[in-house]
Amino acid sequence: MVESIVLSGTAMGCIYALVAVTYNVMFSASRVFSFTAGALGMLGGVLGALFIARMGLPVALGLVLVLVGGALLGIVTEIVAVRPVLKSLDQHLYVLSTLALALMIQQFTAIQWSTEPQPFPRLLDITRSEFDQQFWLPMLACAAVIGGLELLYRHTLIGHAFLAIAEDNYAARALGLPERGLRMTSYALAGVIGTLAGFAGGEMLLAFFANAPMLTFYGFVPVALGGMGNNRGAVVAGLLLGLFQQTANFLVGGIFASVAVFTVFIIVLLARPEGLVGAALQRRV
Amino acid sequence: MDTQATPEPTKLRASRANLPGSASTFGAALPFLALLAIGVAFPLFGGGYWGVIATRACVYWVLVSGLNLVVGFAGQIAIGWVALLTLGAYTTSVLAAGNVMPALPPYLALAIAAPVGAVFGLIVGLPALRLRTFYFAITTLGFATIVTQVALAWQSVTGGGVGVPGPVFPEPFASQWGFYYLCLGLAAVCTWMTANIAASRFGRALTAIRDAEVAAEASGIAKPVLLGTVFLFSGAVAAVAGGLFAALQSYITPDAFTLDLSVLFFIAILIGGRSSVLGPLLGTILLTVLPEFAAPLVAWSTFLYAVLLLVIVLAIPGGIAELLDFRNRRPLESDRAIVPQPLLVARLLDAAPAAGSLTLDQVGLSFGGVRAIDGLDLEIRAGQVHGLIGPNGSGKTTTLNVISGYYAPQRGAVRLNGAALPALARHLRARMRIARTFQTPRIVGSASVLQNVMIGGTIHGHGTFAESLLSLPRHWRDEAMLRDTAMLALATVGLERLAPVRADRLQHAELRFIEIARALMLRPAFLLLDEPAAGLSVEEITRLSTLLLAIARAGTGVLLVEHHPDLIFDVCHHVTVLNLGKMLAAGRPAEIRSHREVVNAYLGG
Amino acid sequence: MPISAADPLLDVAGLCSGYGKIRVLTGVDLKVGAGEVVALLGPNGAGKTTLLRAVSGLLPWSGCVRFDGSDLTGCGPRDTVKRGLVHVVEGHRVFTQLSVLDNLRLAAYDLPRSEHAARVEEVLELFPEIAAKRRERAAWLSGGQQQILAVAQGLVRRPRLLMLDEPSAGLSPVLVDRVLVVVQRLREAGTAVLLVEQLIEKALALADRVYALARGSIVLEAKTSEADLPHRLEQAYMATSSRPG
Repeated sequence: MVESIVLSGTAMGCIYALVAVTYNVMFSASRVFSFTAGALGMLGGVLGALFIARMGLPVALGLVLVLVGGALLGIVTEIVAVRPVLKSLDQHLYVLSTLALALMIQQFTAIQWSTEPQPFPRLLDITRSEFDQQFWLPMLACAAVIGGLELLYRHTLIGHAFLAIAEDNYAARALGLPERGLRMTSYALAGVIGTLAGFAGGEMLLAFFANAPMLTFYGFVPVALGGMGNNRGAVVAGLLLGLFQQTANFLVGGIFASVAVFTVFIIVLLARPEGLVGAALQRRV
Repeated sequence: MDTQATPEPTKLRASRANLPGSASTFGAALPFLALLAIGVAFPLFGGGYWGVIATRACVYWVLVSGLNLVVGFAGQIAIGWVALLTLGAYTTSVLAAGNVMPALPPYLALAIAAPVGAVFGLIVGLPALRLRTFYFAITTLGFATIVTQVALAWQSVTGGGVGVPGPVFPEPFASQWGFYYLCLGLAAVCTWMTANIAASRFGRALTAIRDAEVAAEASGIAKPVLLGTVFLFSGAVAAVAGGLFAALQSYITPDAFTLDLSVLFFIAILIGGRSSVLGPLLGTILLTVLPEFAAPLVAWSTFLYAVLLLVIVLAIPGGIAELLDFRNRRPLESDRAIVPQPLLVARLLDAAPAAGSLTLDQVGLSFGGVRAIDGLDLEIRAGQVHGLIGPNGSGKTTTLNVISGYYAPQRGAVRLNGAALPALARHLRARMRIARTFQTPRIVGSASVLQNVMIGGTIHGHGTFAESLLSLPRHWRDEAMLRDTAMLALATVGLERLAPVRADRLQHAELRFIEIARALMLRPAFLLLDEPAAGLSVEEITRLSTLLLAIARAGTGVLLVEHHPDLIFDVCHHVTVLNLGKMLAAGRPAEIRSHREVVNAYLGG
Repeated sequence: MPISAADPLLDVAGLCSGYGKIRVLTGVDLKVGAGEVVALLGPNGAGKTTLLRAVSGLLPWSGCVRFDGSDLTGCGPRDTVKRGLVHVVEGHRVFTQLSVLDNLRLAAYDLPRSEHAARVEEVLELFPEIAAKRRERAAWLSGGQQQILAVAQGLVRRPRLLMLDEPSAGLSPVLVDRVLVVVQRLREAGTAVLLVEQLIEKALALADRVYALARGSIVLEAKTSEADLPHRLEQAYMATSSRPG
């Protein structure tokens, strides 16, 4: 029983962590949070089921199409919901514009796809076991993304440019860095990460439009607890969240598990609004 | 120097019909009365099905009217308010059905749901005081989910997934139209109450918290108390709406309370426009009725609401209210001059008791390793203008921020008449009659000039929130007093002709003078000005000088942080020069002017 | 250095700019010739930083700005850098999370990949004190070294005109001299420099010409060889509407 909790908890934790990283990547590029992170996660599962189960495409091609879709949606988010709002003086508008976009995606999926959860295809042709692919695929995806981002930020010029924009937007612009293009690329990257989360976790979450609000919330908890923009904090907090949730599930049942998670979240956040670790990139004074 | 006879008091009471915020005007009430008339007459031309829709719109509006104060006026992104609807619905239904205790009459059940809703409204809303906007929005969503989950799980009380019957109201409200009139009546009462708050000092204070929080603090507005009150009210009203909703549905289950509903409430307010009651009312009616016009639309309704929200945010952030704001479409005169009337200052400040002295006593403050202020002694005397000058980074604005309570001194103290000021208690400064202006004017752009100035006098009102809610006499006395004082303040700074104009249409220089008018509402013993001359023309600076001298003559002690030589040398009685947080020189302007070191520090070198 | 009045490298006429509703610059006229060092002085709040931000495209402006014969209307910072006009902003802002080398490589972002290494080396040769720390994170450098790094970033693009905003701010006198030696070297190499400075004497020692900016427009223009400049500057700043200038 313990193994089952650890496995499902870690797997779910990895999915939450990936959605949290989606939030963070968008935040680093623009200093705003976007409600579309959860919707992207949901679409990873839905589009995966659409391409592979319904349309019968091979798994690899389906994955590529899903990620491309994610990138496109990320770019749409930036152009439609974030860029127009950054120019205005009224800062809170980004909450509303990204909320509107996320709702549109969610409702469109509910109507066109299905209001009921649909099965997600088995990705690899391996027999079921205890350490099943539905558990280690999310873990693999999470490790790959974290590793990939480290590589990107540490060793590539564009990764450095992302860090520069995040740390000091003004100095980066003055230096001549293409701030707008970099922001769009960041959002595309975030889109890829978000849909990958949903795709890798498809078997666990199923292809269900209501995953969007669920992931919006549970994907944000690691951001809040781990510190804004802090990816490492997000992963640790995500794993803890997944394990806590599955444990509570086992002990008191699904419904009270949600109550437990939420209560702990609120209490921690009220005690330490900056998160347990604090923001990674301090803005220059 | 302008020599104008002091205008007759009657002239200053500018025609009431043109002033915003005076709920007594028939013009403002007309749209509401028209809607009420349509509502009352509705059964004559609407059929049974439309009766249900109309009732539903009334019930939704009961909730939205309260939520409007939270979202529209206070600017808190409370997306998950359906939690309160759920709570109210279940409380009323369970008490009326007798699941837990002997069945109560529905009216009593509804009456009990209200305070329960109030308490939970406070619980859901209070995190707003600690958390960033997005974080708070997410927590309200979480609450909404939790409440629904609890309703599902607590089977013994709520019936779980099976649900519970809604309350049934006795005659004359048992029939469809009878119940409709009950809901219409409650909706009308809620409209009246929230419109009263909107036109009161509490409504203005909420918009100040939303759009100009530092100015609200400087005017003495205590955010936690005000927001707490609004959450209580909004929760109570939402719970009552829940009870009515349960009666309308006649049977409730947890999945009647979807996130879609929450989104509808929230979007209705934003489509309607912030700081408006009429806008969100029209928005609610629109969103309730719209999907009914075409069958396929019902399924797509939430999608359409979201599209509408996006369009509003990107194109018309002011919503329906902005579209209906005809008065502010009229063009303003282009060559407007600001002509203060210094002779009015004495009248404005006459009732003020004498100021004493405000001193800094060896104040020291460091940020990280840097000493922003290093052992500073300063005295601002009543009736004098004290200038504070120095290069960038010398600590001028930091000093002003320490006096007004933004930073606590790490060494030394700021003393008012000998007693040390409480550190970091920004909103208490107003009560001590210490007023300030800001480097960049902090104004509520969507409110009128008059409303902005009235915000300055918020703490001088005596009526409580409840008295404003119910339009009791003390509320009216407060409003009259604040309006008259604000008009006098505007006349003093020379902007009374612009009183009804939306503040964001004004030029920068005019906004600076409005800030001064707002500060004067406190009848300050001490007035702290942060670079008031920045962006002003030569003519305007001369007029500002005259005004400041008049303010000092009336007994106020003025601290003037400035760069501008005109203002410093013509207005100040006393000047302190700062450099690297320390006092470099102090004395009369003429002495400072010729002090070699000062000239070098000020110019650099 | 001869001043080619006929064809200034930078030609600013009637420049107006500000922040939202706040008008800071109300019609500025200024010229910088090729290879000249021009100092821009003035009291706080006069608009010196605003002027640099407008010219480099960080702020919207109206009026006329021409660089090397072409109109800069609508150009953002990326465009002005490409044309050879580089703005080193105030406050020695470098990217603390990245190494010195990476900071410099970012400055070369728009250049072809093959040139990056060469340009970075070229610049490091000019500044041995940061060359020694090339692999260290910028966060570990001292304030003065960060300022030098910021100037080095500006030089990676081999600008024809380098605009420096208060490079001496917050630095000890020794480091100030170090930074100003760099300006001297630039002038010898033929790069034009527009230098905003608080330290009047040092700026006058270095520059060919000086402008004084006060209350949003130019109040004095002179060659640094002219007599009695410090006094004339003081008069120009302190002049009020009621006093003779």
